[in-house]
Amino acid sequence: MRLKIDGKETEVKPGTSILEAAQAMGVLIPRYCYHPSLSVAGNCRICLVEIEGAPKLATACSTPCAEGMSVLTSSEKVRAARRDVMEFLLINHPLDCPICDQAGECGLQDYYMEHGRHKSRFPQADKVRRQKRRDAGKYLVLDNERCILCTRCVRFCEEVTKTEELCVRERGDRSYIDLKPGARLDNDYSLNIADICPVGAFTSADFRFRKRVWFLERTPSVCAGCATGCPVEVHHSGGAVYRLMPRPEEGFPAWLCDEGRMTYKSLRAPGRPAAAFCEEGNLKPAAGLRFAASRLGKLKPEQVAIFGSPFMSLEDNLALAELAAAIGTRNFCLHFSTEPGIKDGILKNTDHSPNARGLSLIHSAYGGYTREQFSEKLASGEVKFILGRNEEVKAALAAAKADIPSSVFSFSDEPAPGRACVLPAASHFESDCLFINYAGRLRRARAAVKAPEGVLPVWQAADRIASMVGAPIRLETRAAVLERLKSRIPELAGAPLADDKAEFELK
Amino acid sequence: MKKFKFSPEFNTRVAATVARYPRADAALIPLMQEVQRELGHFPEEAAQALANLLGISYARVKGVLTFYTMFRREPGGRYLLQVCRNLSCHMAGSVKLLEYLKGRLGVEEGGTTHDGLFTLVAVECLGSCGTAPVMMVNDDYHENLTVEKLDKLISDLRAAAKAQK
Repeated sequence: MRLKIDGKETEVKPGTSILEAAQAMGVLIPRYCYHPSLSVAGNCRICLVEIEGAPKLATACSTPCAEGMSVLTSSEKVRAARRDVMEFLLINHPLDCPICDQAGECGLQDYYMEHGRHKSRFPQADKVRRQKRRDAGKYLVLDNERCILCTRCVRFCEEVTKTEELCVRERGDRSYIDLKPGARLDNDYSLNIADICPVGAFTSADFRFRKRVWFLERTPSVCAGCATGCPVEVHHSGGAVYRLMPRPEEGFPAWLCDEGRMTYKSLRAPGRPAAAFCEEGNLKPAAGLRFAASRLGKLKPEQVAIFGSPFMSLEDNLALAELAAAIGTRNFCLHFSTEPGIKDGILKNTDHSPNARGLSLIHSAYGGYTREQFSEKLASGEVKFILGRNEEVKAALAAAKADIPSSVFSFSDEPAPGRACVLPAASHFESDCLFINYAGRLRRARAAVKAPEGVLPVWQAADRIASMVGAPIRLETRAAVLERLKSRIPELAGAPLADDKAEFELK
Repeated sequence: MKKFKFSPEFNTRVAATVARYPRADAALIPLMQEVQRELGHFPEEAAQALANLLGISYARVKGVLTFYTMFRREPGGRYLLQVCRNLSCHMAGSVKLLEYLKGRLGVEEGGTTHDGLFTLVAVECLGSCGTAPVMMVNDDYHENLTVEKLDKLISDLRAAAKAQK
């Protein structure tokens, strides 16, 4: 059907709301209660627009477009209505922006500057006071005074997580958001509530007061917390990551799980090594690589085992596969069996590794043992030295009941007792790298912060080790790694790996 | 939270009530009134039970429960005394009646007597201005009240309650 918005003709599908139609034309109608992924409530009234011929203003979020309609989104009448709605919404607002963590990304601040700019007619002393700093759940703090009762949070708990922890109580200026008696907001997606809250009522206990939002830089990336590989935006400043936020991308919901959001913590975990740690003590990262190479160089190829991992990127696993081939050992494993799938109907995957699909591609291109065969090999005593990711080497040795000297790459604070050498490795927050998620979609992690000095991504470390043992694999640059991925893995032959913007899905 | 169970009689009435409306959730308020009639108030635990019964969210039931002042969330006395204080009754002397009741029963507005017999509340218009001042005792109207009439009424109610015991 056709209609006019601000005098411009547009065509929409029947059932489209005025707000959505306007947005498609690039006209942003202000909104608080409207959220594209939630049901329409129509209670905040800030989206009022004028429909020519209609006696009253209508809410753009809940009024469907009609044939021949002519909508005005910024007439004098509409602007006056928005100003009045702002005044109502702010009547009991405490105006504590200086101590509010939402400041800088607050709907009230933004729309006040855009549409309000009125002088308050309500003295501070007459405002209704409410509970502040309520401990609402593991990651959330609730401030009832700042709330404008848009009910996005209530609808989120009803419609997305279906856990129903929240409700609106009482009426008029006495109404407030409350938790169900005995309940806490501890569902797996609770931090989304801090995101969708348009004001400072729900704030993240993890992020609040750690950084003013206008200091944050934003790098688009992906979450490596499970095989779903959700799009995220890494918010960082001064080389430290402060939070992960959902990033809109076709095919993914607008949410992130709490577990995924917390993955950034491994970066600054106190136990995460920034230097290599060897039998001889602490070494600079480069010296750690020399140590590992010298151990490797003393052994026959068959005595060396190399262990790929679904928790490492395509680049890392490719370089390890190349290293195994260059050394000439048959003792390598690029295998991981998993049955991925969304387990809760929202985002969380049964497979916790971000790159099992990617690893299986490298496994089929380069061969190598399965995990079971590899475990038998380790138990046989033939292998004298292992190179791999800390967590998996540990588990494999425990499964094979073997104690074999090893060099392990460490991304996290997972302790590595008894290893010959622990090599710090740059994580997906610190280096550009690729994963393939459970559905076969290429996921691009981008370096948001710098790795500690001298700490390299695994593929680069593998390249250095290969050169030091006299079996160069020629993967000095990431471009070379991407070229090698394309030439060695038939599924990726035509993939636009180097193009940062291009999407790709396995057939 | 305690598990709440509706009485068998209530459960049999649910289907009939729901059938009167185009959608199950439209039966929410009538059913809440049923619960209140049966129990004298609407307990917190019943909110979740009713939500499950109608297939709607707890938030919805809780919101309705706390929005309407005629739903009582705490158990009250056997007799709910609702004294009208709106314009007509006010001019006809309801202020005096309310003061009298407060004194005689020894409770404030919204309070319940120690013996659990009376809960006293002041309400807005009961829709019977022609017979002001008016008070409701549970579902019954008492009209053209005076302090003397009220005095006798309270004594009668006490006696009736005693006789029932």
